[in-house]
Amino acid sequence: MGNFLEAPYLLEAVVVVLGLALLMLEAFLPKADKRLVAYIALFGLAGVLVASFNMKAPENLEHSFWSFYATDNLAFFYKNIAVLATMLVIVMAIEYTPVLEKYVSQGSKQGGLGEFFCLPVFVCAGLMWMASAKEFITIFVSLETVTISFYVLVAYMRRNVGSLEAGVKYLILGALSTGFFVYGVTWVFGLTGETHLEKIGIALQGLEGSDSAVLFAFTLILVGLGFKVAAVPFHVWVPDVYQGAPTPVTAFLSVGSKAAGFIVATRILQPFLEMERLHSSFTTILVIVTGATILFGNFAAIPQTNFKRLLAYSSISHAGFLLLALTCTPDQFQLTPGQVVAFYLATYLLMTMLCFLVLTIVRRSTESDEIAAFSGLHRRSPFLAFALLIGVISLAGVPLTAGFLGKFFVFTLAIDSGRWILLAFAVVGAASGFYYYLKVARAMYWEEPTELAAIEISPLARLALLLLIIATIVFGVYPAPILGLLTN
Amino acid sequence: MLETYLPILMQLGVACGFAVSTLIVSVLLGKSGKTNPVKDSAYECGMLPIGEAQPRFSVKFYLVAMLFVLFDIEVVFMYPWAVVFKDLLVTSLLPVTLGMAGFVFILFIAYLYVLKKGALQWRD
Amino acid sequence: MSNLLYILIFLPILASIAIALGAPARLSAIGAALVNLAISLFLFASFDSTAAGYQFAASFPVIPSPEISLSVGLDGMSLVMVLLTAIVTLCAVWVSPKQVEGSLGLYYCSSLLISAGGLGAFCATDLFFFYAFHELALIPTFLMIGIWGTGARKMVAWKITIYLGLGSVILLAGLLALFINLGGKSFDMATMQAAVAAAELPATTQAWIFLTLLIGFGILISLFPFHSWAAPAYASAPTPTSMLHAGVLKKFGLYGLLRVAVPMLPGGINTPLPLPLLGEITVLDLMLWLLLGNIIVIGLVTIAQKDLDLMLGNSSVMHMGYVFLGIASYNSIGFSGAVVLMFGHGISIALLFALAGRIREHTGTLTISRLGGFGKLAPFLGLTFAFAAFASIGLPGFANFAGEVAVFLGAFKGAGTEITFLQGATIVALWGVVISAVYMLRAYRSVFKGEPHEGATMPDLTFSQRIPVLILVASLLIVGLYPPILLDKIKPGIELIAKAFAE
Repeated sequence: MGNFLEAPYLLEAVVVVLGLALLMLEAFLPKADKRLVAYIALFGLAGVLVASFNMKAPENLEHSFWSFYATDNLAFFYKNIAVLATMLVIVMAIEYTPVLEKYVSQGSKQGGLGEFFCLPVFVCAGLMWMASAKEFITIFVSLETVTISFYVLVAYMRRNVGSLEAGVKYLILGALSTGFFVYGVTWVFGLTGETHLEKIGIALQGLEGSDSAVLFAFTLILVGLGFKVAAVPFHVWVPDVYQGAPTPVTAFLSVGSKAAGFIVATRILQPFLEMERLHSSFTTILVIVTGATILFGNFAAIPQTNFKRLLAYSSISHAGFLLLALTCTPDQFQLTPGQVVAFYLATYLLMTMLCFLVLTIVRRSTESDEIAAFSGLHRRSPFLAFALLIGVISLAGVPLTAGFLGKFFVFTLAIDSGRWILLAFAVVGAASGFYYYLKVARAMYWEEPTELAAIEISPLARLALLLLIIATIVFGVYPAPILGLLTN
Repeated sequence: MLETYLPILMQLGVACGFAVSTLIVSVLLGKSGKTNPVKDSAYECGMLPIGEAQPRFSVKFYLVAMLFVLFDIEVVFMYPWAVVFKDLLVTSLLPVTLGMAGFVFILFIAYLYVLKKGALQWRD
Repeated sequence: MSNLLYILIFLPILASIAIALGAPARLSAIGAALVNLAISLFLFASFDSTAAGYQFAASFPVIPSPEISLSVGLDGMSLVMVLLTAIVTLCAVWVSPKQVEGSLGLYYCSSLLISAGGLGAFCATDLFFFYAFHELALIPTFLMIGIWGTGARKMVAWKITIYLGLGSVILLAGLLALFINLGGKSFDMATMQAAVAAAELPATTQAWIFLTLLIGFGILISLFPFHSWAAPAYASAPTPTSMLHAGVLKKFGLYGLLRVAVPMLPGGINTPLPLPLLGEITVLDLMLWLLLGNIIVIGLVTIAQKDLDLMLGNSSVMHMGYVFLGIASYNSIGFSGAVVLMFGHGISIALLFALAGRIREHTGTLTISRLGGFGKLAPFLGLTFAFAAFASIGLPGFANFAGEVAVFLGAFKGAGTEITFLQGATIVALWGVVISAVYMLRAYRSVFKGEPHEGATMPDLTFSQRIPVLILVASLLIVGLYPPILLDKIKPGIELIAKAFAE
């Protein structure tokens, strides 16, 4: 293991050390402005992001360590997604400070806020490790690092009933899903005697009989992952938790947790789907879940009046599109489902963060998450309205925005694999998306504002919004940089 | 094949036998004498059996208890490490030592954090 | 030279960005539209009408695999559409109001973006951008109708957005199916076209894809029975949006059928498909039935309209049937007729909406019974409206006539002694001309002839307001009096398309 000190996992190590340093800073300087913690986290993560682009996979991969730590393009890509998402969440958290103070500190200025800026860093470390995990125990440990940090973050506003409710629901259902996942893993281990995904793949190929046991294990793991990525019918926690959690945490759940679930799904499903004997059974199960997710996510979003809840259902529907890509076995198309999913998630990161950032700012000034709170936003702040417009049309999949390309690739994969029924569902779902996403645009542009006071935006948030808008449009027209990271 | 399970069967027998036999013995040996209200009342080590069924503890108790369990459990990880330490020393000295050093370092930071946040202080 | 098309497409977008950053809205918009018209006229003049294939081509690679590039180029057909877009855009921004309630910048930006979408779609020779640019118009339209529309604007805006959204997603599925079946490597239209012969798609597959494209494009064109969004939307939308949408964007679907479906799916049109409720029917027969629906059913609906704007909206839906007929004739004469008719219809409907918008601006209503005698009050308005109405009916001397004649000729070309369904449908469709004469002339008589209502006023157009009207009338007359000006340029490209089918 000669390349011990120049290996990619140093990125995770640095993030962990950063998190610990922040904790110490927070503990030893109780009088300092807590936002200092956030700014340091931001700079540290930016450094990690830059470093990750210069990091190369080591050439000598003989040591057993590399058998449970992947260093492929996909791993690096998801690490970037994780860092970027965390940075944006911290920007959002800084904007959200007044709301947090109201529900956490109660009297003492900024009391108990420090950890809100530290915990995302640990989540980030977990997400990054998960991006490289290709062995069940590693996957499980990193998954739990993320989930346990989220338990705290979701319930962070301890004097807000909604946040507490969300915390309890997330805790119970998260624990339940972990149970399913681990039970599935034990079955796989029982069948194959392996925890390494590659070796499991080989062992499954040679497995005689015990089809129902394999199917059972597959289903259990799928249930566990289904909870994480918010697939129907394991989505029940999503709307309440998303609505109740502090907005930055909701954004993090929506992007980070989903990205983590999908990188794990991409890696775990592969050995199963390669098993020819049961391929059709696995696919059938996946297809049913996917169809239900697309239809439910989109249709249930239609009547929503709360923007955060709307985004929760939107998150479910996007999970449906992503799962659709995973069911595909392309024939002609040059991008693999794994690459398409990664690309989709990168664009999803941009547009979802854009929406949540605007929501955070508007929430601070209107004290409401309802769509009605956005009425006449165009008059109050044309910039915010435009930013959110770009966000929602990208989520809806209007061409020339990044969100369209994701759907575009998913549709191509579906056609190439002959998934006609799912494609029909996706068409209906995408069309209904136009309705519920544009409801927000309607409120912003058609309706009269209830008050006319301009909304204040901090320079940092303005910069983040501007970058996100530009990225959403530029990558919608010229996605080559993102695809380059995935393919070269 | 099945004889390997014999110890378990024996254990099962002992467990059941002990429970049943103590019950029987207590009935056989226990003499039923005269009863009065004081004798019939529950015996509580001399304390008056009055109060709530679920007495309230200070929330700090849970905090300390949880911290104890956490730090206690972490030590468990050192055992497997110690067992394989000697073998791994030959092939990969650095990762093995640094790995545990890192682990202990994180624990130490956590301990400092707990201390600084006053989680171990009983009084405010 | 080869970058002219990029300038053409991105100038309106840059102008919108400038407006958003604070440049004077009306001035920048008109400036950009003027430059674009100049560029289009230059392109039109320097277009080599002897060469087939794309001219002024340029390409900018976007993704290597699957190959997507922002490639542009013009053949005769797209040249005519670009010219149409440039003319209508200039007139649309010119007739836009100088003051609006709310943000003036947004008003002009929306028009410019709709225009950029149209230009991009017509110039693109890459299937991805061909599709993507068209969608650029969706959100501006939604905002325009929702903010500045009249009547039941909110309901109408929802309807058009969801209808068009659904249509474009179906279209996307169809286009992607085509892409995958033609090798799934490149979105470049020329490469895809070249792959058609090698791919040897089964006729049934082609027919299914064609049907999907027909439905997808059909929704965008307001093909019967997917038409119900169109008339209320045009009636309710602010004038420039109606002009651009009815005049330019609706042609995208027809253009797309000619550009993509016809040449790339040569075997798809005559293969029977087992459709629910309809039994075994070829796509061509289905198309003919539906276009008759457009011409006859919507024609009769148009006669029954009591409001001028709804009547114009419905008439625009009805006239799409004739363009479809040109496509359904499946020969180069019919195709050329369809393109010329698209041009003529685009100009005439834009003119009609511009004039109607002027009337509504002053009187606040377009209910025909409450208008009258405007010919006396505003002679210029009356005269130009008459021109537009005559053009719309298809009287000789106007561009629409040239197009309709070619369409009918195309339908009868090669007809034997037996009358096919195509010719039968054409004979029925001819009666549509009578229907459009009825409603157009009736509307003209009630609004412009007779005595004005008591106390009614209608100022005539000022000099500045006359310029866009005159540009539109002139375009109608020039093409009407000398159709070869368009036909010559269209011919080589169209013959290429017809050849692809004949093989």
